[in-house]
Amino acid sequence: MAETPAPIRIAACGCVTPFGDAQASHAALIRGECALRRVPVLGNDGGDPVPLALMPGRPLDETAPPGWLSSVKGLAERLPPGAWGSPGRPVFVTGSNFGVGGLYALGRTGNAAFASWGALPTCTEQLRLALGWGPDVAILSHACVSAHLGLLEATRAIEAGAADEALVLSFDFLSPFVAGGFHSLKILNSEFPAPYRERASGAIGLGDGAAFAVLARGRGDWTLEGQGVYNEMHHFTSNRADGSGFARCLEAAAGAADGRRVWFKGHGTGTLDAGRLEVAEASRAFPGSPITGWKGSLGHTLGSCGLVELAIAIESVRSGIAPGTIGGPGEPMGPSVALDNFGTRGFDGVVCASNAFGGAHAAFLLCHA
Amino acid sequence: MAPASPMPDPLTASLKQLIVDTLRLEDTSAADIPDDEPLVGGGLSLDSIDALELVVRLEREFGIKIASSEEARQALASVAALTTYVRERGDPSRLPS
Repeated sequence: MAETPAPIRIAACGCVTPFGDAQASHAALIRGECALRRVPVLGNDGGDPVPLALMPGRPLDETAPPGWLSSVKGLAERLPPGAWGSPGRPVFVTGSNFGVGGLYALGRTGNAAFASWGALPTCTEQLRLALGWGPDVAILSHACVSAHLGLLEATRAIEAGAADEALVLSFDFLSPFVAGGFHSLKILNSEFPAPYRERASGAIGLGDGAAFAVLARGRGDWTLEGQGVYNEMHHFTSNRADGSGFARCLEAAAGAADGRRVWFKGHGTGTLDAGRLEVAEASRAFPGSPITGWKGSLGHTLGSCGLVELAIAIESVRSGIAPGTIGGPGEPMGPSVALDNFGTRGFDGVVCASNAFGGAHAAFLLCHA
Repeated sequence: MAPASPMPDPLTASLKQLIVDTLRLEDTSAADIPDDEPLVGGGLSLDSIDALELVVRLEREFGIKIASSEEARQALASVAALTTYVRERGDPSRLPS
């Protein structure tokens, strides 16, 4: 009789934010601290002051090599040892912007040193060499659901027998190019974000972030269930007004929850329309589940947010307390929005969701094994 | 599309032409754009990306500063709303006389 394969679990997970590692970040959020500070949107070139959360000591402006490389190397030191990128141990590198600020710096300065970090493939190759990985490295980039996609592909690789264990590394570090882009969309301005709160106008903050997860069969304390991704294919920057994109993506996680008591770690950037839709559909899919979001403190860490916030969600379950929704003032968008910290011991798991430009949505149910 | 209203002032006419030029509306002339029709989601079928292009052009042309997407939405509610917005916030030296 064929043996049932051991379930795939998260064998290791960690992150780095301006507050520090996952434990330090969780503790800071529990204390209600805000990592966002007003920074000129174009760095040395000035511009409007906007809320950004940068790694301590790292300027917004690009350098060659990138100033964020030390943060990624520091994070990589916490990886389980082994020959990552060798056969059976693939690496999935995910992010939204990679070193794109380097291309902007290249264009402005003409300094060729920026070139090798500017594009996705070259940036990843530089990283692969810096971290001593083998050649089996894949790149996944789909805006703010990039990390979720990495987790899904890593899961599928193991399920298909193409990997014994898989590493997902996700990172996004800010630059004048990235901050300027969101500023030009009028969603990054001088206001601090207030996720899931009603106010006259919405605003986001942006943050540096990096995280990793190692997936393996039968090892680790955490399971990912009901991994779902869905693209509503509606518009670059807006969602269907009926919330169907959010609803559709949550179906898999809701099915996996199957009546179990869960809390909801949402995307919650601080924009109004998306926040309202997210609260409405999360409340519908998981009635009574407290909804929380942490981008009001960490800023939106873009392509890395799914994995950065997964690491903090794990700390929340491990410690027995989850940070409430941090942000500016305003009435909550729904009764389920948790403005205060809350205990996690009475819950069976947490649904983690992210949403992205282009109408992409992703979610999964995280449970302790 | 409903017939356009007569263009009452130079700023309104200028804004309608700016819309046509900025968005490269090949099948629409400035005179075709009604004063009170919604610019986004109305007969012109403009979307949020078109709105963003208009915002950038308006800021450059008239020296205004639109701080948020909600403020942009209000300013672009219609040509009439946009005329009022630009007249109130624009650099007077850049407004058509």
